Amino acid sequence: MNNEIVDLHLNDPQVRKTWEDFLTSLGITDFQSQETDAIDFTLGIYEGDKLVATGSAAGNILKYIGVCNKGVDQGSRFNTIVSALISRLFQQQIFHLFVFTKLKYSDSFQHVGFHELAHSDVAALLETGDSSIDDYLDAIPRVADQTNKRVAGIVMNANPFTRGHRYLVEQAAGENDVVYVFVVNTDASLFTKAERFELVKQGTADLKNVIVVNGGDYMVSYATFPAYFLPAPDQQVDYQTTLDARIFRDRIAPALNIKTRYLGTEPLSRTTGIYNQVLQRELPPQVAVKIVDRKTTTDGTIVTATAVRKAIADDQLDSLAALLPPSTINFINQHLESLQFRIKKGMNINGN
Amino acid sequence: MEIKQTALAGTLESSDIQIMLSKGTDGITIDLESDVEKQFGDQIRKVITDTLAEFDIDNGKVKAVDKGALDCVIKARTIAVAQRALQTQDQPAWEAF
Repeated sequence: MNNEIVDLHLNDPQVRKTWEDFLTSLGITDFQSQETDAIDFTLGIYEGDKLVATGSAAGNILKYIGVCNKGVDQGSRFNTIVSALISRLFQQQIFHLFVFTKLKYSDSFQHVGFHELAHSDVAALLETGDSSIDDYLDAIPRVADQTNKRVAGIVMNANPFTRGHRYLVEQAAGENDVVYVFVVNTDASLFTKAERFELVKQGTADLKNVIVVNGGDYMVSYATFPAYFLPAPDQQVDYQTTLDARIFRDRIAPALNIKTRYLGTEPLSRTTGIYNQVLQRELPPQVAVKIVDRKTTTDGTIVTATAVRKAIADDQLDSLAALLPPSTINFINQHLESLQFRIKKGMNINGN
Repeated sequence: MEIKQTALAGTLESSDIQIMLSKGTDGITIDLESDVEKQFGDQIRKVITDTLAEFDIDNGKVKAVDKGALDCVIKARTIAVAQRALQTQDQPAWEAF
């Protein structure tokens, strides 16, 4: 089995150990279960009985790519393994791929057709496939004479859409000609992406200068910011959010003439707290950052979606009227059973 | 002819070319990555465009990563990707050869 592509079954402890040892020797050492559990398949190349190249895929993201070049042309095994990963994903009808890698490997991926979305001092995010960030941006609706308008952007998961989100959008809508609300596309929350998107739309329907769009793969997605959905150390959150912020600053904001990004203060979520700090560091001067204080209810409680999800889990719906706009309350009343069922099935409601 | 689905042919191995063909609206657009782009870029684009024309494909996005493929390889890979995209793999297009 020399230089043939084989499937590595990581649930075999022997294979798993070989794989971890090989990657560790190349400086990849993070084998936490939340990272490795997401892997859909892993490929490898053996030279004799020695593993010399490997790569994995999780959804549309390439991960854990490691290659030893000893005794072969520089790059040939890398090309083989990336090529095999791409073909396999294509067979699964996944045509749009991302890779999150160390900055020094960005060139290698560009050499096999990837395009860089953003890079920081340590890491880079690249994409390839049948659609790109330019296609995504082209498809976003625009208003007449947008280059001379004051345009703002907000990114939210809205799990679900609360009066707090509404307040933030209202502030932005009052101070700008156009406000884009990007709803996080990744489906890893109690409310599905379709539900969250619809509730944001309904909850802002009366604000005529608000355009609700899907955040796609480019804003707080599994590709740009996995730590939003998975617990991660502070430094990792910082790395990922830096890239997320730079994609927004360098690609999204210029294309739509977004000059201001609105944020809500985040007293309760550590991850979002770091994200907000990074945005304040990275976005100006190209994009101004405007922080709006958290909305509180009349008795001073902070409005958060976390509290809403807890109320759903505890069946305490009376408390929701103060936190949610009518459209969201209606939805919850109509779908209470299925939401509670999702929580029972193990959906985490304490994250974001 | 209308492209039915995104398709891929070829690999990233040396002397090969990997070609992806997907729906487009703006004629044939080719995004080419090649070490010999300067010397042979125009020729590679011409082979791809001519071959697609034999399948009457007028609109499509092509993404090609060339690793030093000869014209015959480029043509073979383009035929394969076109047939996969049109879902006509089971009807060999003899006249395109």
